[in-house]
Amino acid sequence: MSNGYPNAGFRNTPDTAVVPFYLYAAISFLACTILLSLSTESFTQHYFSPQLLAITHGMALGWGTMIILGASHQLIPVLTEKSLFSIRLAHLSFFLAAVGIPLLVYGFYTFNMGWPSKWGGRLVLLAVMAYLVNILYTVKTGKSGNIYSLFIVTAASWLFITAFLGLVLVYNFNFPFLPKDVLTYLPLHAHAGILGWFLMLIIGVASRLIPMFLISKYQNNRRLQLIFLMINGGLIYYLLSYYFQFPYPVLFSGLMIGTALSFFLHYIFRVWQSRIRKKVDQPMRISLLSVAIMLLPLFILLLVSGYRITGGQHSRLVLLYGFLIFFGWMTSLILGMTFKTLPFIIWNKHYHDKAGLMKTPDPKTLMSDRLFMAMGISYLAGFMLFALGIFGGYTSLLKAGSIVMILAAVFYNLNVLKIWRHKPLV
Amino acid sequence: MNIISNHPINATIALAALEQVMDPEIGLNVVDLGLIYQLDFDKQGRRIYVSMTLTTQFCPMGDTLTAAVKRVMERTFGDQEIVVELCFDPPWSQERISEQGKLFLNQ
Repeated sequence: MSNGYPNAGFRNTPDTAVVPFYLYAAISFLACTILLSLSTESFTQHYFSPQLLAITHGMALGWGTMIILGASHQLIPVLTEKSLFSIRLAHLSFFLAAVGIPLLVYGFYTFNMGWPSKWGGRLVLLAVMAYLVNILYTVKTGKSGNIYSLFIVTAASWLFITAFLGLVLVYNFNFPFLPKDVLTYLPLHAHAGILGWFLMLIIGVASRLIPMFLISKYQNNRRLQLIFLMINGGLIYYLLSYYFQFPYPVLFSGLMIGTALSFFLHYIFRVWQSRIRKKVDQPMRISLLSVAIMLLPLFILLLVSGYRITGGQHSRLVLLYGFLIFFGWMTSLILGMTFKTLPFIIWNKHYHDKAGLMKTPDPKTLMSDRLFMAMGISYLAGFMLFALGIFGGYTSLLKAGSIVMILAAVFYNLNVLKIWRHKPLV
Repeated sequence: MNIISNHPINATIALAALEQVMDPEIGLNVVDLGLIYQLDFDKQGRRIYVSMTLTTQFCPMGDTLTAAVKRVMERTFGDQEIVVELCFDPPWSQERISEQGKLFLNQ
């Protein structure tokens, strides 16, 4: 038994490198649900429209990416077994993204591809570069051969590629230099982000955190390596097929990624089976629900490619695909994980010096269970109504769904605010 | 749960006190969770060494837990210096959870 200090020099990430990202994401989510409500007509038309571009980027960057950046600053030390390299770079990526995202969303919403979109894109790219450098330096000095680090570094690299491709597309609107039209390149940019960034990072983090939260013995690094290879293989096949004319790009890459997802689901199932902690709290349940929801968009993708659906039906299914990803899978995961992490971050800030001296409140009591339940119910109702609205082209369902979704965002924001504004009891 | 000590009576007192230190995420105390590895009391009665671990090496709650263990030990053995050392060899595993702890987690 060694009595050294193996984690001497370890520094917890300060809440200033985490909490602002959570608050920004919460406001973005509310803003996106309001935009959704104002743009329901767009969901009955072609998917390439200014409103949909604005909502998609608001959700992908303001909501998904911002909260993931913040949470990863907190969680990267857990995954890589090393302190975050630079707090300043974390702050820098926040400020750059915080200014760049609204500019970009405004540029898309008004379809002004001049300075708002260009500056928005540039600032977002710089924010991503600051994040990538921070991650690379953290991992470089961390424990070698860690599969979770591999997922994170690869995900951050895909985020860089996505942001770079996005900026290229913005410039192409001003000075067309790409050989084909923008709709050809849009799926490349979108899938580099969805699969390379979101999916890679979420699988890397979830495969470490879910067993930790459930206190499960199950660990299978070989399976995670296989999942890693299949997702990246599928994505690279899909991207390269645009240049090398590979056969059935969507079907082959969809099958590879689908197999990887089914392996991941099986992994989570084994974790669940061998868990010691039987009682699972509500935030964890919603997070686990998102693991199941991730199969829905894949089903749509295979449907579109397998049956060669075209015309209005194709456009509706593409819209549904995007909605299931951003408002379904990603949102349900964030709604759950926010309340699995934020109360502990705030609790640690207030009670770090008091634990052991006096009775401190349970971190879970920093959030409101009633607001959480109200959020969960309104979110599920809004999500299902809106998804049915897109599928059937019913404007009334789209309106109703978007309004219920605004309610979910309001409940979410109130709960986040309650946790953030917590006054120490002792 | 297997805790090594050179002073069984003091160790019993210390462990009873350390049951007040809870892992905030799991809701179980550090003793039943099996985080305490070793309690050494020096013969002169001046210093106590606590060797403990964390469920994961870079646990965000690690600082809070080790500080809480130190405070509780200082309160219990007021006249002695408390040295808390983190140890990850062997790493923590579920097998270290006490029967009582497993019952709590099974609820």
